[in-house]
Amino acid sequence: MAKEFEFFTEGGLVKYTGYTADSLRSLLIGLENVSGSAIFYHLHHALFRWHFETGGHLNDFSRWCWRQLQENLLAEKLSSVDPLSYTSIRDAREALIQHVKNHIGELESLPRVPRGREFYFTEIKSFIIPTGYIATDLQSFYNCVEKIDTYSVFYHLIESRVRTGQPTNDFSIWLRESLDQHELADQINHLSPYVYDLHELRSKILEMTRERLNGE
Amino acid sequence: MANKITLESYNRYIPTAQLDIIKTLAETLGPAKIQQINSTRMGGGVAEILQHLLPLMEELGFKIHWDIINGNPEFFNITKKFHNALHGTRAEFSREELDTFREVTADNLNVIRNDMDFHVIHDPQPVGLIDARDNTTGEWIWRCHIDLSEADNRVWGFFRQWVEKYDHAIFHLPDYAKDLLIDQMIIPPAINPFSEKNRELSNEEINEVLGRFNIDPGLPIILQVSRFDRLKDPVGVIRAYKLVRRYLDSQLILAGGGAADDPEGAQVLAEVYEEAEGVPDVHVLDLPPDSNLEINALQRAASVVLQKSLREGFGLTVTEAMWKGKPVIGGNVGGIRRQIVHRSNGMLVQSIEGTALRIREILADQRLAEHLGENARKFVQENFLLPHYLQNWLLVFHSVRNGGSNIVRL
Repeated sequence: MAKEFEFFTEGGLVKYTGYTADSLRSLLIGLENVSGSAIFYHLHHALFRWHFETGGHLNDFSRWCWRQLQENLLAEKLSSVDPLSYTSIRDAREALIQHVKNHIGELESLPRVPRGREFYFTEIKSFIIPTGYIATDLQSFYNCVEKIDTYSVFYHLIESRVRTGQPTNDFSIWLRESLDQHELADQINHLSPYVYDLHELRSKILEMTRERLNGE
Repeated sequence: MANKITLESYNRYIPTAQLDIIKTLAETLGPAKIQQINSTRMGGGVAEILQHLLPLMEELGFKIHWDIINGNPEFFNITKKFHNALHGTRAEFSREELDTFREVTADNLNVIRNDMDFHVIHDPQPVGLIDARDNTTGEWIWRCHIDLSEADNRVWGFFRQWVEKYDHAIFHLPDYAKDLLIDQMIIPPAINPFSEKNRELSNEEINEVLGRFNIDPGLPIILQVSRFDRLKDPVGVIRAYKLVRRYLDSQLILAGGGAADDPEGAQVLAEVYEEAEGVPDVHVLDLPPDSNLEINALQRAASVVLQKSLREGFGLTVTEAMWKGKPVIGGNVGGIRRQIVHRSNGMLVQSIEGTALRIREILADQRLAEHLGENARKFVQENFLLPHYLQNWLLVFHSVRNGGSNIVRL
């Protein structure tokens, strides 16, 4: 009998860490010292907060460097730190730090933003909340995905990589291991939050699942 | 606390799944008793939000006590002076004034109810009520609704002695957070989509307001809604409009208030009239307080909305305009830059020339205007409506109860 899939969702409470950056030096100090939860918030969680902007600068660090510090080259490089490519926050933090250090090494002087344009490092306290939706087969999976909110899509599709340490997502793991739906699992795993916003991601999952159901 | 709007009413704008999260958070907290204290039940942003928020909390099963501190005119004059100093105005306080504040605070300690699960104290006026903590068993939360980023350090130091005794402090933006030893949560404000300022209006209602102010509905409207305050740069807005007029027919509306009881406001209004002298199609509307319907109608009639602030708190006027699906051009400051993603759901500008350029771009490109407006509304719908604010409060209560971990499974 297939194992059931329990859908969770997430609420987040944002907390100020006490670290603030007004230059690349203080940005580096913050990156080196803030909690993993802060790196997660500004890198991974930014994909949730700015999910409607599928191009551009998708993490808070690159956005700040671009709009406030006006270090466009560094902003591009920080944008390239794709949270979906890192299954550990430690590795993602290291990548960010290396880009900033390398960039500092190439500058003659370090720019500073005027008062009011600082970067405030914040972290997130996450509350994992049961939705009450449980899937036992492909049809009930479809029915549940129709009802869940964008927080739940983010939790299972994107955040799961950091949580499980695997370069995949909760849906694909379950579809593969419990329902033998390898092709559908791969299709879902290839969906990109850089092409679709969270609403569209959910629609695509439904579309793919419906095709599979119609084919059965 | 009469309110005909229920949590289900918000299903019109918020998905069922999200309302279910709120209900789950409330159920897992249990029937908590919550005391909310501020300085007034009527007038001002804090009272307004509590009037809408607290009935929803009651509907979720919480026992709410909304209490007000008592004070004489002398006390409230002193707290107004504190308010200005915390906003950055330099002020001197006599020993007598500080003693009066302490005495009135001590006289109000009996407003604290001893059997509450949570005490929520709003803004600086009642902050000293924490002195009653030893007689209580509940958790204490200080909710600050004001911008402390430019606070006079001595005045902040006077309040800090009380703030540090709370369990949590909450600010609108991390920019307002202070160097405190207690946890500082960031919860932005929210708008109520059913209020007079934000509810949907018929074309008749909109046209009635436009007619009252002799505004031509056939000409594109550029609108800024703000107090007449230099930090909102109304003169800069007029200068930007003058640049736009070289290229496009349009009209400018500056709708504000506060000039009547604020000497600086009256001076700024005079500067606005001087700048607008001889410029066609500029409407300067000095509105009375609570002109919520008028502001609503003007925002809905606008082709583009400006908030060309030089300094800004969170900027709820931006949120309101975004909620109405308007393309907003905002100064790259404060809470405005936390709401507007440049060229995605609005435009951020740094200069008069930049403002003029973006106005022209939006007025000349209807598709761009619609794209920005549509994204703007969705962004507010997902982040800044009253149920989000309610959810954040429930998370705060959970957080205070659950202590240190950054991941909590309910």
